Amino acid sequence: MIAMVVNGVKREVQAPSATPLLYVLRNDLELTGPQFGCGLAQCGACSVLLNGKEVRSCITPVSAAAGKEITTLEGLPARWATQKGLSEADAAKTLHPIQDAWIEEQTPLCGFCQNGMMIKATELLEHTPSPSVAEIKAAFTTSGTSAHLCRCGSYTAIIEAVQRAASAMSKRSQA
Amino acid sequence: MSTVQPNESVSRRGFVKSGGALFVGFGFVGAEGAQKASAAGVTVEKLDPSKPESWIEIHADNTILIRTGKSDFGQGTVFTAYRQIVAEELCVPFETITTVISGDTDRTPDGGGTFDLLMHGMPNLRKAAAYVHQGLLDLASQQLGVAKDQISVNDGIVSGGGKTVSYGDLVSGKKLNLTIPVQGDVHSMFGLVVSGDPPLKPVGEYTVVGKSFPNSVIVSKVSAKETWVTDVRLPGMLHGRVIHPKTLGSKLISAGTLDKTKFPNAQLVVQGNLVGVVAPTEWEAIKAAQQVASGTKWTEWKGLPGDARLYQFLKEDTDWKKAPIAKATTNKGDAPAALASAAKKLSATYQLPYVKHAPIGPTMAVGDFRADGTVYVYAHTQNAQALRTGIAQMLSISPDQVVVRTFAGPGHYGRSNGGNAGAEDEAVILSKAVGKPVRVQWTRQDDMQWSTQSSAAISDVQLGVDANGRLASYEISHYMPAMQDDRLVGAVLAGLPVMPAPNEIGSLFGMANSMHDPWVYDAAPVVLERAYGGAQVGQSSSPLNIGLRDHSLRTPGQYQQNFPRELAITEAAVLAGVDPLQFRINHAREKRVIGVLESVREASGWETRSTQARGSGNIRRGQGVSVMFRSSTYWACVAQVVVDMTTGVIKVEKVTVSVDPGIVVNPAQLKRQIEGGSVMGVSMTLLEETHFNESGITATDWRSYPILPMADIPEIKVVLINRPEVGTYGQGSEAANALAAPSIAGAFFDATGKIARRLPLKPDYVQAILKA
Repeated sequence: MIAMVVNGVKREVQAPSATPLLYVLRNDLELTGPQFGCGLAQCGACSVLLNGKEVRSCITPVSAAAGKEITTLEGLPARWATQKGLSEADAAKTLHPIQDAWIEEQTPLCGFCQNGMMIKATELLEHTPSPSVAEIKAAFTTSGTSAHLCRCGSYTAIIEAVQRAASAMSKRSQA
Repeated sequence: MSTVQPNESVSRRGFVKSGGALFVGFGFVGAEGAQKASAAGVTVEKLDPSKPESWIEIHADNTILIRTGKSDFGQGTVFTAYRQIVAEELCVPFETITTVISGDTDRTPDGGGTFDLLMHGMPNLRKAAAYVHQGLLDLASQQLGVAKDQISVNDGIVSGGGKTVSYGDLVSGKKLNLTIPVQGDVHSMFGLVVSGDPPLKPVGEYTVVGKSFPNSVIVSKVSAKETWVTDVRLPGMLHGRVIHPKTLGSKLISAGTLDKTKFPNAQLVVQGNLVGVVAPTEWEAIKAAQQVASGTKWTEWKGLPGDARLYQFLKEDTDWKKAPIAKATTNKGDAPAALASAAKKLSATYQLPYVKHAPIGPTMAVGDFRADGTVYVYAHTQNAQALRTGIAQMLSISPDQVVVRTFAGPGHYGRSNGGNAGAEDEAVILSKAVGKPVRVQWTRQDDMQWSTQSSAAISDVQLGVDANGRLASYEISHYMPAMQDDRLVGAVLAGLPVMPAPNEIGSLFGMANSMHDPWVYDAAPVVLERAYGGAQVGQSSSPLNIGLRDHSLRTPGQYQQNFPRELAITEAAVLAGVDPLQFRINHAREKRVIGVLESVREASGWETRSTQARGSGNIRRGQGVSVMFRSSTYWACVAQVVVDMTTGVIKVEKVTVSVDPGIVVNPAQLKRQIEGGSVMGVSMTLLEETHFNESGITATDWRSYPILPMADIPEIKVVLINRPEVGTYGQGSEAANALAAPSIAGAFFDATGKIARRLPLKPDYVQAILKA
């Protein structure tokens, strides 16, 4: 039995310790935000936050997540609500500002990679609240295990969404 | 987890998830997917396309549901433009269309591939809506006791003779006395077509088309609420992995033995040359498949030329005479004679490599071969009806026993527009073998090595310019192996029935030997364009009858023909001593061609000059331009690049695209589509080629098949030219993919004075060109 905190909730799973976290999340915990893209940590479609750091769940054995905190796409609203101390009622109807920005900018094309893009954006903006375009490009290209790849070419829209989210998050932080 | 209930009566795929059964106002549609038994076995009910409610349902609460056989692959068109077009013809607000059912074979009326979504301005749903609108007016005329021409409709409220009634109240409990005329074959590549000429709303009265409504499916995708194809789970479902042959021509000698002590719940399936493993958990299926693969023996095969010999093979070892030669209808004059008397001449060959569609997620599907003989396939396909037909053929059963349900998934860019992407038939074969639903997920390596790719091509150009700076003669011959290989590859491996392999003509559309790139320089005096088709490389010598399987990608065939043409036109301009953009304008009479060129000149900051930039020093800058006419839409593109003369690295600094589609349906969505296509085009130009050796494809992942990362994108500027007077809406994004290559190669030529006629423009090739 492996225990971990997933999206703020303690979960226990029964799986061989070498099982990639991705399959545990998708098949056992029914969290399907992370997607199988390559299984090689080369694309970022499967990204989750492990203790706040973006990792590739396709090559992360579930044993490496034992006792740690995992946030998936499904958990972004609660992560924001906790950080901002929102009431339970407010939290229930709130998306993470990054998700709002992705909708407002109409960022996804097929959208299959966007889980990883939003996870990466969360990691970035939690450490760098007002990133420059160069910092955004670096975050999505060289900061992680590999570049976060989008085959549809939505990078321009991602940059615009990150900027919008950064602006919204700093405003809400001041409020 | 979304466990799919196959016979559920309310669509999951509505972006507004229905909280309960809605009263259907007219022509009640029975439970979808209902089955009936007959002497021929159990079959699945399908929609009657002649009934209006098969296309459009108007509910008592004034909400509207629409159905289309097309699917969404990220364009968003079925969730934006289709709703806008239907709203326009029905005279209702956009927001009242709350549900779109797309792609499912038993829940949509028309079928057809997901391409050409706006059908030159006349998608089926536009006509269906126009017919329904007329039916509603007839109903209102009876109910209000007012002549039809005295009735008006605004926001779904019908007014006439001082009385008003909502559509919802009008249709409540009524049957619309209306037949939707259709022709064609629902199982064909193009599906059914709504025929006739119903009265259409005048373009001048549009209030919904032209506005940037958001794509409703984005909300569910971003908030992790969408049911992706990857999320489909059925009761009792097993996970499957397929062990594909060692080479594209290898036959099975013996399958490895499954170690039941290590993998007690796994099962091995062997059928012909298809080897599969299924297990209750995904990890057990993966590990068991790896264990079996290590002991599986295959014959050797070396029947491919290898990528180093590709262009030589196409030039010298391919028979281009089997298929009839296609000639452009715009050919005119005597090209050899005009060339002979030209002042300056150019003779050149252009080469394009195989390019992978490379969806960001590998193909996967769930197959459910049921005890009653019906088959359900849960897939991500651009042509569900064609997949249904292929599965039926494979199993030698009626298509009426097969249902294909379509879900969101990674963009396919054309590869499944003939039905399959790869995993679908394997899921069905494994399901039938083990008697349970099976989910087959390909690995990245499977997807790179066993999927189709966009054809390589070569083109020979001979042109001449006169002393006045004009094109005197233009002659081009295009050579491309067949495309549109829609065979189910798992069925081929298993030795089950499939459609014939493409021949030199290239399957359904003459995909190999047709002129795909319409000529746009109608002021040029002498033009001769020809297209030659050849067989798929390696296929005839492969014991599996599988070589490099080719399939349409975004602008199939046209990309292969437009790159050489547009780069050659730039070379002709340089030869003539005329600015390449002005040279294009000088050879066009069509004002929409001139319009996009003038627009892109202005928007890009193009420097008009009769000589090349050819800077000095290690870092050089240049500009290039390209033009395309596709699906009723005119496109022009300018690329501005910087070249590092030492490293051979080309960086694209800015791409500007001007597009005139006629009526712009949804400006914001079109802009995003074009930005995406432009990035993919830069990626194809700078990075992409499918490496292969004598046995198969050696590009297996994102390292051996790199695509453009965010850091390397250019600034992208999009100019939309709205021309309501044209009266039709042209096609969306796909041409954007093809525009980048000739404009970037033209910009490299401008910057350096050296011409690179082969893609991709990788540093080692660029360095070699610079040294030459």
